[in-house]
Amino acid sequence: MPDDLVARAQAGDQAAFRDLYRQHAGRVYALCLRLTGDARDAEERTQDVFVRLWDKLGSFRGESAFSSWLHRLAVNVVFNERRTTGRRERRVMPAADPGTLERPRGNPTEGLSIDLERAIAELPEGAREVFVLFDIEGYGHGEIAELTGIAEGTSKAQLFRARRLLREKLER
Amino acid sequence: MNERELLDAVSKLPKSIEPPHDLWPAIETRLDRRRRAWVWVPLAAAAVLLVMLMSRGHPSTWDVTALAGRPLLGTERLVATGRLRVGDWLQTDDSSRALIAVGRIGQVEVKPASRVQLVAAQATEHRLALARGMIAAKVDAMPRLFFVDTPAGTAIDLGCAYTLETDSLGNGLLHVTSGQVEFASGSRSARVLVGTLVHIRPLLGPGTPYVEDAPAPLVTALVAFDFGDGRGSARATRTVLALARAQDAVSLWHLLQRVDVSLRGAVYDRLAALVAPPPGVTRRAAIALHPRDLEGYWSKIERIHFRTTVLRGVRDIDPRTGLAKPK
Repeated sequence: MPDDLVARAQAGDQAAFRDLYRQHAGRVYALCLRLTGDARDAEERTQDVFVRLWDKLGSFRGESAFSSWLHRLAVNVVFNERRTTGRRERRVMPAADPGTLERPRGNPTEGLSIDLERAIAELPEGAREVFVLFDIEGYGHGEIAELTGIAEGTSKAQLFRARRLLREKLER
Repeated sequence: MNERELLDAVSKLPKSIEPPHDLWPAIETRLDRRRRAWVWVPLAAAAVLLVMLMSRGHPSTWDVTALAGRPLLGTERLVATGRLRVGDWLQTDDSSRALIAVGRIGQVEVKPASRVQLVAAQATEHRLALARGMIAAKVDAMPRLFFVDTPAGTAIDLGCAYTLETDSLGNGLLHVTSGQVEFASGSRSARVLVGTLVHIRPLLGPGTPYVEDAPAPLVTALVAFDFGDGRGSARATRTVLALARAQDAVSLWHLLQRVDVSLRGAVYDRLAALVAPPPGVTRRAAIALHPRDLEGYWSKIERIHFRTTVLRGVRDIDPRTGLAKPK
């Protein structure tokens, strides 16, 4: 079904595009939320990603999984926006209501997850971005350097800093 | 906490987080705005291009292929392939079937014992008439480019796949298997989403759509409400309300606009108990059938229905919220 949806959306079918949005909005919003650390920014960036996707969809050739391709597009949109506006970090909760996060209720790690989300959102911007991309999203330091414009060594240093800060925050 | 414990906790973070509200309406508005701008700025060039496309690129006849037996195309028996022109009829008997290429946007399989006519073959309007029988349509195009007229009303493609059957009087059934279809007749219309069905009747048009797994007594009550003589409509409504589940919100949303005004409050309350109204939708406005409130409610119902249907077998979705249930 996803391949069919992508093909239909590429042909200009807006209903199929809306279906693609429904399928991928959660992943894209989660990425934007963690990269920006701000719920309102995350909503705006998620909208930007799907508007950009509509323009770029024709260039998707199926050489990678659509979700991976969309993911990369989302990262680019977030960093392009940051470069454009020069927006600096906002240390706020990632969502107005942490209960809106989709997660198993009653799970013993639930409280830890909320604390961790909060701690990630409170990280300094550069450290947060590298941590999200490397430890949560699985990008390598080379890719992160390419996406963010920092040196690989800086990426490694930011990751070390982020992990140290998180451990300190979670131990309090 | 050591690093291993930290990374273990990170691995348990959810990969997906639902936005606090539906972002699609805002995205759709932005896309529409861009499209309008794109249309107006290079208007002259677009007009020339459109004329060229319509005159050169768009087929004014549609290809037909016999899938089984020998369907009748006009007055000739179709052996393998042929061309359907505007005004032509294609007729299948009990043992024949045919496949029509709908311009360049899709295809329609004409099932046995059916009779269809090509009414319009234009870039902006692809229209068939189904006089009787059954078709299976699959269209990949912008919404509202493909129409099928029946004696009971018109199926309007909104980007989808569906089957549509009718007898020569207009008694029939529409079943949507992908995307959604609007079925309109006079002042009445129905929004038929993937995984839902709607009965159609001559003069009355579409009934109330219902989901594939709706309880049989609920479907019976809906049919009694939609097509009965009116005397039992209050009773049928109460039956529907008693049997409705969160999955049946699609039906209740339609019912809200069709019941007698004295019953709207009860329908709204049942709907609200099953699927909470989105922020901004009030009971008073919904009962007064204010379009903004009805559309707001529909957006939520549609989103939940879509997630429930598309993610079936992949994730267990709560039909009340559209969110994944706790594992």
